[in-house]
Amino acid sequence: MNKVKIKSKNLNVHYGQKQALFDVNLDLNEKEVTALIGPSGCGKSTFIRCINRMNDVIDICKVTGKIEIDGVEINDENLDVVSLRERVGMVFQKPNPFPKSIYENISYGPKIHGKGETKSELDEIVENSLKKSALWEEVKDRLDEPGTSLSGGQQQRLCIARAISVNPEVILMDEPCSALDPIATAKIEELIDDLKKTYTIVIVTHSMAQAVRVSQKTGFFHLGKLIEVGKTEKIFKNPDNKMTQDYITGRFG
Amino acid sequence: MSNEHTVKSYEEELQNLKDSLIKMGSLTESQMSDSMDAIIKVDKDSIDKIIKSDDEINKFRSKIDTQIMNLLVKRAPMAIDLRETISSLKISQDLERIGDLSKSNAKKIKPLPLDLPEELLSNLKRLGDLVIKQLNDVLDSYINKNFDKAKIVWEKDEQVDDLTNIAMQSVIDFLSKDKKNLDFSTHLIFATKNLERAGDHVTNIAETVCYLIKGEYLKGSRPKGKQAQE
Amino acid sequence: MTKEERLKKRHSAEKRFRFYGLMSIFIALLFVLILVQNIFSKGSSAFKKTVIKTEVFFDQELLEIQNGASEEEILNTDFYDVMIESLINSFSAQNLDEENEIIRLFSPDAELEIKHAFLQDNTLIGKKVNIDLTASDDIDQLHKGNYPRDLPEDRRRISNFQLNVYDYFVDNKKISKNFNNYYFTKGDSRDPELAGIGGAIIGSIYSILICLVLAFPVAVLASIYLEEFAPKNKITDFIEININNLAAVPSIVYGLLALQILLATIHLPRSTPLVAGITLALMTLPRIIIPCRASLKAVPPSIREGALAVGASKFQSVFHHVVPLAMPGTLSGTIIGLAQALGETAPLILIGMVAFVVDIPSSPIDPSSSLPVQVYLWSESAERGFVEKTSATIMMLLTFLIMMNFLAVYLRQKFEKRWN
Repeated sequence: MNKVKIKSKNLNVHYGQKQALFDVNLDLNEKEVTALIGPSGCGKSTFIRCINRMNDVIDICKVTGKIEIDGVEINDENLDVVSLRERVGMVFQKPNPFPKSIYENISYGPKIHGKGETKSELDEIVENSLKKSALWEEVKDRLDEPGTSLSGGQQQRLCIARAISVNPEVILMDEPCSALDPIATAKIEELIDDLKKTYTIVIVTHSMAQAVRVSQKTGFFHLGKLIEVGKTEKIFKNPDNKMTQDYITGRFG
Repeated sequence: MSNEHTVKSYEEELQNLKDSLIKMGSLTESQMSDSMDAIIKVDKDSIDKIIKSDDEINKFRSKIDTQIMNLLVKRAPMAIDLRETISSLKISQDLERIGDLSKSNAKKIKPLPLDLPEELLSNLKRLGDLVIKQLNDVLDSYINKNFDKAKIVWEKDEQVDDLTNIAMQSVIDFLSKDKKNLDFSTHLIFATKNLERAGDHVTNIAETVCYLIKGEYLKGSRPKGKQAQE
Repeated sequence: MTKEERLKKRHSAEKRFRFYGLMSIFIALLFVLILVQNIFSKGSSAFKKTVIKTEVFFDQELLEIQNGASEEEILNTDFYDVMIESLINSFSAQNLDEENEIIRLFSPDAELEIKHAFLQDNTLIGKKVNIDLTASDDIDQLHKGNYPRDLPEDRRRISNFQLNVYDYFVDNKKISKNFNNYYFTKGDSRDPELAGIGGAIIGSIYSILICLVLAFPVAVLASIYLEEFAPKNKITDFIEININNLAAVPSIVYGLLALQILLATIHLPRSTPLVAGITLALMTLPRIIIPCRASLKAVPPSIREGALAVGASKFQSVFHHVVPLAMPGTLSGTIIGLAQALGETAPLILIGMVAFVVDIPSSPIDPSSSLPVQVYLWSESAERGFVEKTSATIMMLLTFLIMMNFLAVYLRQKFEKRWN
């Protein structure tokens, strides 16, 4: 049984007058993949963006409640958001590599955090990150080419490598495969399987089948509320809540 | 049970699967009933009809197999739909076995004499009637998703075992009375055993129905009757 | 209407539309061609100057220095007498009037040109050398065919005698046209044949440089602040509206502003590239801010999010990622803004650059002229020689403007290629 890495307590999020999350209490275990499912607009993306405080960039967004990582409250005003984001990385729905070379994409993070001072240190970090995201063999001879010259699936793996390069503890993934073809998706799922040995992973997905394949724990959101959470096997074979069952079987009208 | 699938054809496919299973069930039930009647009356003319009806049952088996494969590949069913699909597979297998056993029993009528003792026949009849009723009840519990009814069927397996022992005893008594009864007595022994095995398959179906409804397996081993005295 | 009829109607409408389009392009091109042809025909002759090959005798008796004199000594020596003697000897004159008329055939710089020849070779004393001396502007224009010869003498600038001398020079192949280096190297002058845009070019360059140095950083930083960091409230909206309005303010208003504040209040030196540069910078600021903001806005938010997610601060994400992507648009906007500033005349007139400045400015606080103002000044002069120079200067201005626009396009393409 893995111990709890991230804990949310009575988390509420408002966008101006509209409330997006209602009293969410969710535990995420370390070195495990937790999937968040639910219909569009149910608040799952909002939830994961709270974990790395990306909601801060939206002016009208107000977050109340607690989120603890390793027992430390992160919704504190005095918390250094930059170092939080060093520990909690994010991969977005549409691959967004920097319009720089592949090498620079990966080396940017470590550089600004002071993690690689000499060229050889940075070289090593770049190589390791690319190897861990199963991209090294494909790009090792063309590290100077722009990141945007890769295919969609490769770009997404590049973004994963970029997230890994700063040595985070948690990786948040917001529908990482929704823009990719089945083979690229399979490669990323394979990667996630491997990454969970080292990192805590939270993945938002619209694909039931993907949630079943990659995660050990699943949370079902609906209209901003966490309806049911539990072991993935249980949720998909025999969920407790009727709404959960209706959603995963396709009975939502 | 709950509101319908957003994709109507998915809803239809599931319903068709259930309908096929129910039809297969009722065919099996009437085949068993015919087979029992034939044994009791030693009606040798109805043997062919009973054997033919087994073909009907087997056809349903293939139809259901195909429906299940299509559901799995097309719909990747989840939760209740997944349990429904897999349960249909198991239940249809059990029903097919029951059909085979009824057919086998029908074939055993051929060599029987027309003057079998009253008591023996009535014991057999009681056993057969019970198994038929079990089958009827379990199919009913499947159609109405009635957990308690299925559980009662599962528990009643004990009674089936008891009646089997009684019927078996009267066959053995009949056998020991006259040595020339040996030939068809063995048939009768096998027929009795077949009825017991049919009862086991019905109990399997009951277990499957319970899993389908609750999502958990029944705890404990099924109740067993006293061993037959040798 | 049937389907065929409708189709036919649509086709003929499209044909008409295409015709109108081509016609408008054709008319526009026609005007451009007329303009260019007009300017070229008037201006191309300015790039050549008429010279008269004259035998110059470096008579020792007329010079106070010896062969082998130092540069300083040569510069301090008077070559006037040598010049007069040589000029008079180029044609037989009957009397003093005719001698003066011969001398007036040459530019006033003839003495300097002779001195310059001696500076090149200081062993010429006692020798007779053929030197190409610049002709006066009357001869220059006559030789270029701009003066009608068939007017009566009292209505001409050239006397009959001078015409004879000219014809003599032409027959003896003493007159030719050389490349007009004076046009590029000398400053303004009362004498058209000696006038050049040297001063105006340097003045323009200083002004534009100062404008660039002042306007670019301020504009870019202001845009970055307004677009990325400023809170979205009424004050920011107010500032944005005002910047957009400033871009539309007539440039002469900036001239008035400069006159009052820079010259009258702060007492900066008049007519200098410094003041011109500051004025142009004020004018160019909004013209850089607007494209810079548009380029910043055009950077997709996914880039910013990507940078933030990897742990960059807002400052780092803006300066390391957003600003480089906005650079192509900003640079094109800047170069176009500078090109506009290069051609500005009205505000520069107000700050006094219409002064007659002969010397080439050696620093931004020396008085100078600028190219467009020079055009204005020369266009007002009476002498025929200035007509071709005005058109030539317009050609130079247009060339610079086209070059700057090409530079803008090239830089934009180069940057965009790098990012893709």
